[in-house]
Amino acid sequence: MPENFLTARRGRGGTLWLGRNWAFLFLLLEVAAFALLGSRFLSLENLQNIFVACLPVLLLGMGQTFVIITGGIDLSVGFVMGLGTVICAKFMFLFQAAGLPPSLSIPLAVLICLAVGLVPGFVNGTLVARLKVPPFLATFGMYGIAYGVSELVSGNTPISELPAEAGYIGNEYILYIIPRKLVSLILRPQDVSKLELQNMWTILPTVVVIAFAFVLIFAFVLRRTPFGQHNYAIGGSMDAALRAGINVPRHLTRVYVISSFFASLSGVMYVFRYVTGRADAGSSRMLDAVVAVVIGGASLYGGTGSVKGTIVGALIIATLETGMVNLGVPSHNRYIAIGVILVIAVLIDQFFPELVGRGE
Amino acid sequence: MRNPGMSAKPLAFFGERWATFFLLAMLIVFSLVGRNFFAFKNFSNILYFATTYALLAAGETFVIVTGGIDLSVGFVFGFVAVCSSITMRDMFAAGVPDTVCMLVGSIVGLGAGVLPGLINGILVARLRVPPFIATLGMYGVANGMALNLSQGFPVTFLPPRVQEIGNSFIAYLLPGKAFTFFQRPLNLQPSDLRYLLGIVPGTVLVAAVILLISAFLLARTRFGQHTYAIGGSKDAAIRSGINVPSHLLRIYVLSSLFASLAAVLYVFRVGLGNFTTFSSSYELFAIAAVVIGGASLMGGKGTIGGAVIGILILMTLENGLNVMGIPSFYRYIATGLILITAVVIDQFTPERRASSA
Repeated sequence: MPENFLTARRGRGGTLWLGRNWAFLFLLLEVAAFALLGSRFLSLENLQNIFVACLPVLLLGMGQTFVIITGGIDLSVGFVMGLGTVICAKFMFLFQAAGLPPSLSIPLAVLICLAVGLVPGFVNGTLVARLKVPPFLATFGMYGIAYGVSELVSGNTPISELPAEAGYIGNEYILYIIPRKLVSLILRPQDVSKLELQNMWTILPTVVVIAFAFVLIFAFVLRRTPFGQHNYAIGGSMDAALRAGINVPRHLTRVYVISSFFASLSGVMYVFRYVTGRADAGSSRMLDAVVAVVIGGASLYGGTGSVKGTIVGALIIATLETGMVNLGVPSHNRYIAIGVILVIAVLIDQFFPELVGRGE
Repeated sequence: MRNPGMSAKPLAFFGERWATFFLLAMLIVFSLVGRNFFAFKNFSNILYFATTYALLAAGETFVIVTGGIDLSVGFVFGFVAVCSSITMRDMFAAGVPDTVCMLVGSIVGLGAGVLPGLINGILVARLRVPPFIATLGMYGVANGMALNLSQGFPVTFLPPRVQEIGNSFIAYLLPGKAFTFFQRPLNLQPSDLRYLLGIVPGTVLVAAVILLISAFLLARTRFGQHTYAIGGSKDAAIRSGINVPSHLLRIYVLSSLFASLAAVLYVFRVGLGNFTTFSSSYELFAIAAVVIGGASLMGGKGTIGGAVIGILILMTLENGLNVMGIPSFYRYIATGLILITAVVIDQFTPERRASSA
């Protein structure tokens, strides 16, 4: 009898674990499939590329995680990211034209961009929290406004001719190792032969390190601070949160500000990486960000979701993209795959609530 | 009890009709400020470009009245445009007479357009996926399919008659000389062409007929009543014996069908089929128009007429800005602002029952 009981429980625990971590297993399966089908998919370079590729989705998804946990949605992130790229690029361009050295023009432009990026979030938050506009409509309005403003700032053409140093940040690595010769931190080794260059290991892309620093900070905020607890509380039941004395309007405003902060941070990363600013830089990423968060186990009704889940979701999408390029499949097929994965994620959530651990 | 009702009346009256007043005000302002705005050709132009959006918004109205949302309309539109134009192009290249090409192409487009709606409907009605997610998934899938089929390029080389038909007018007037229906007057001199006036573009007439039918469907039929009932309260609708899943399924098919009609008309108008780009934001304009027209995303409210007024506001704005020489991307800003204003006005307008109490 006790034996039976034990096995039964272990069995249920197993499916429970599977249900909670199906996204992670899916990611592993995905990597395994591409490793079998593709060529050199598991190389260090390619794996690092996946992390670089996941950044826009991850950063937009981070802000979206906070918003979705409160039961809201932020549809404006894609175009706020575009706005971020345009503002950042525009100021870099202006400062460069004014004769500022790159060591000054780049950080200044980034700071201005991040500061301006708080504005859409503040407007969204005020509309949602104070004027009780449904999040869907408030952020949909901002979606149009942000796109229009970024076209306005960029004059309808991508902004280029930025300081080349911006590109160094976006495309360089933290660590360079040439086996049995030298280890270089941050600076790309000079005066090396072609052969040595081919054998050089480049480790930790700079943008990934910057982005993950912010992701980890906000993961901590969500998991370990009263702010994070209030976030879950509001998503669980707004009435209960109000009665428990949480200042819900103020909290919601901050949440939308966080979302648009991450969107403009993603814009800055885009400028570093591609050394250009364009209004539609993030337009295709809104869908991806919502998908990443939902695959990661969040419910659009609020109250659930985690940074860990969003990271896995973003990696699933990035692996898909990178893998498709590796296999030579036209990249627009990813939209189909992502749409299908989104619906499957919600169906799993819908039909196996106890599997996903939401039955209680 | 009476007093608050009385004082709320004018506010409620204005709050419910602000979109119409706004449209009129905008027409007056642009007529006064913009050169060449107040011209027959220009008004005809506004309607000509509004047809696509008005049809998308009409489909979206049905969905929003039930309390749902359809984010996929813009990409379903692109998918159908590509399907339909590829069919026409390939049949034409194979030497099929152009009438058959156009007929089959249109039917293939409309048929292909039913599929996304069917899938959306099954997901929402039978599998209880939130409409937002189901149609966001379709947004990706339809976009991917359109890009796949078109290989990322506009589909061209359709039969030349496609564009001829799409750009024909119901009547032509050559002031002082000729007035004909459906066909240009014969024996036109090149110098006459400048004065030739087309009256009511054919596509506008087709769209208007479809819109009238859909307005009738929503306002006057049992189908429409059930739609409002489901949006008002799904539980009550189930208890009063409405087959909610099958009704919702039809609503999402209807929405896709409207997107397909818009796409087929678009192919005729432009003479090519194109996939939808992310920044064209058809769904933004459709949803914004429906909400500006007085619908609530909570369901139970909204009319086709309101949605059409919403679209006319957005299109008049774009046209007016264009005529005044202001870059067109301002319309995205303006649309966003008007959308938010609409919701805030709706929020602060006293409910009608307050004035009837």
